Amino acid sequence: MTDQNKLRETLLLPNRRQIISGMAALGATAAVSPRAALAQKRVPITEGDFAPLPIAIPNFVAGTQSDGEVAVGVTQVITNNLRRSGLFAPIDQAAYIEKNINVDLAPNFQNWKTINAQALVTGRMTRQGDGRLKAEFRLWDVNTAQQLSGQQYFTTPESWRRIAHIISDQIYERVTGEKGYFDSRVVFVDETGSKERRVKRLALMDQDGANVRYLTRGSDLVLTPRFSPSSQEITYMEFGQGDPRVYLFNIETGQREIVGNFPGMSFAPRFSPDGQRVIMSLQQGGNSNLFVMDLRSKTTTRLTDTPAIDTSPSYAPDGSRLCFESDRGGRPQIYVMPANGGAAQRISFGEGSYSTPVWSPRGDYIAFTKQGGGQFAIGIMKTDGSGERILTSGYHNEGPTFAPNGRVVMFFREPGGNSGPSLFTVDVSGRNEQRVPTPGFASDPAWSPLLS
Amino acid sequence: MKVKVDKTVLASVVLHVLVLGAVLLSFSTRALEVRPEDSVGVDISLETQVAAGMKTGKKEQKKPLVEKVAEAKPVEDAVGKIEEKKPPVVTEAAPKPQPKVEEKPVEKKPDPPKVAEKPKEEPQPVEKKPEPAVDPIAEAIKKEEKKPTPPKPPAQAAKPPEPQKPKERVFDQSKIAALIDKRDPSRQAVTGETLNSNASLGLSKGRASDNSATWGAMFRRQVENCWKKPYGGIEQERPEVAFNIRLKKDGKLEAMPVPDGAPPTGYARAYSESALRAIIQCQPYNLPAAYFEEWKAFTPVFQERPL
Repeated sequence: MTDQNKLRETLLLPNRRQIISGMAALGATAAVSPRAALAQKRVPITEGDFAPLPIAIPNFVAGTQSDGEVAVGVTQVITNNLRRSGLFAPIDQAAYIEKNINVDLAPNFQNWKTINAQALVTGRMTRQGDGRLKAEFRLWDVNTAQQLSGQQYFTTPESWRRIAHIISDQIYERVTGEKGYFDSRVVFVDETGSKERRVKRLALMDQDGANVRYLTRGSDLVLTPRFSPSSQEITYMEFGQGDPRVYLFNIETGQREIVGNFPGMSFAPRFSPDGQRVIMSLQQGGNSNLFVMDLRSKTTTRLTDTPAIDTSPSYAPDGSRLCFESDRGGRPQIYVMPANGGAAQRISFGEGSYSTPVWSPRGDYIAFTKQGGGQFAIGIMKTDGSGERILTSGYHNEGPTFAPNGRVVMFFREPGGNSGPSLFTVDVSGRNEQRVPTPGFASDPAWSPLLS
Repeated sequence: MKVKVDKTVLASVVLHVLVLGAVLLSFSTRALEVRPEDSVGVDISLETQVAAGMKTGKKEQKKPLVEKVAEAKPVEDAVGKIEEKKPPVVTEAAPKPQPKVEEKPVEKKPDPPKVAEKPKEEPQPVEKKPEPAVDPIAEAIKKEEKKPTPPKPPAQAAKPPEPQKPKERVFDQSKIAALIDKRDPSRQAVTGETLNSNASLGLSKGRASDNSATWGAMFRRQVENCWKKPYGGIEQERPEVAFNIRLKKDGKLEAMPVPDGAPPTGYARAYSESALRAIIQCQPYNLPAAYFEEWKAFTPVFQERPL
């Protein structure tokens, strides 16, 4: 050791001069270019603040005299969408300093920094000579004084809400990096009347609760509507005089066709990702098994053959696998199986029983209803069963469905007593639970893919 | 045999030089540099002490210089060092227009309480007094200082000429304390400010010292308050974005942060932009002046918590 020390000392003296002069040179260069500093310290930052991003959305400018109303309407739809997502905090317009927005110029960012806006949306609506409606918007980053996004759209004047949803999606995507979900619809079962004489009608609305229209009259019981992933079609079950029938309903054309008469069916079928097949569970005796039907040829293939109740199947977005509910192990649990059948693997292992599994369009999560301890909970888990997270729990929560971006889950909740069910949404992180406004009571929601 | 020994010794020496060359930067130089700094510091301080005594008031003219340092939170320096004023030390600060300076101490007011809490810094109860109104220019500062003073009566008591001195003291503290304080190996950072006195010693600009545990944690805490970190699935991708940033002494960015690495796309871009917003939004940063040489240029790395 001492030898080494001696060596070190003898070596150090001459070396130190060289090193010092070298470092003096380094210091000089470091002053010029910080990157030259070898010792540029890296400081890890791992936590954040989950507060939403403050964003300013002044009223869209009216391109012509008569566009004032639609401009304000579009602004309100966008503001509402972004606020409900839980990721944005629109600043009250009363606080804005800048009163006159010029959409064609860069804004005076200082006026927006003062009110603590970190993003700014400006836009304009202009009715064209040919009757079309032109919508323009720009999204600005206040801190870096950059334009993040800017688009122009032409549409029919009646579709102004869709334009507002499309613009909302653009803003959402640019800021969060995730696909948006605002330009979508929800089909659900509208319930009216007293608890004993509940009338159930199939209803369709925009995801923000607007544009509600009824698809059935309510004379017969309707259940479990399901959206096609590739077309504007839904399947649902209707209980008439006899056995439940499955209908295929085209929203755009209004046409309805019977998929088949299926005695012993409890849930409506779900579509395959390509929209060509539907998967269903059929009851035979005391068992229930999974079958796949090709929509064009109407041929049916059996997927499971167990003396158990296999039901509520849902495809993965790539169509290679599916998840379903089965009580083959005793209590209802969630299983994953290859799309063509084969060995099913159980993925749920918590306390309680698991039902109504649905695979996220993003492919990363499976949402489910969990029953246990006198409570009904909505939860998600990874597709291998790990990372189980309960999003909400209470007297009765059921029937999760994913938003098109896989980020938000909608479900229905019954508070108990003489009241009725309502629709709610919650983020997959468990945050931002919001009630979805419906004309009356509502249950069994199903979220459509993005319309655009 | 002798030849063999020589060769092996040579090889050993070369290897040692390589290894120790790197080690030198972090270990030996620090130890070595402490002594010469001390001697230099003491010499100068003695002169100034004799000249100024306890009356730091004379240093009024240094205020412009001092004020620069003041922003950096005298908190770190121990109370006792206040007396030592080093005019030469201070000289590096160019005369700054007083009004400008005032603003900075004023805005720093909220910081001192924050900083004072940090146990890592040297006992800084004294710091509370910082911007005293002694200077004719500092009426605003006066108000400020009155607020922080109550919490630190003991610190105040230590310095009789508090009303006038606080400002100078605060300024000096950081420099003087850093020079005198033997326990703080980061002194080199302070000596960085006093280039003219120590340059001849050929001391490194504090590169060898690493107090990032201190200022890094302070920076991290502040920026984490501002970072609207994306969540809800993106964390599974485990993105990581880094920026090279340069800060001024007042804690503000000197320039727009420069992304470190390839431009990100998709999720990573949203992650990166959220981090950039946080860095810009959160300035000015309250970081210890003593280590300015270390934190004037560094690279925050935004990432998920390690599994």
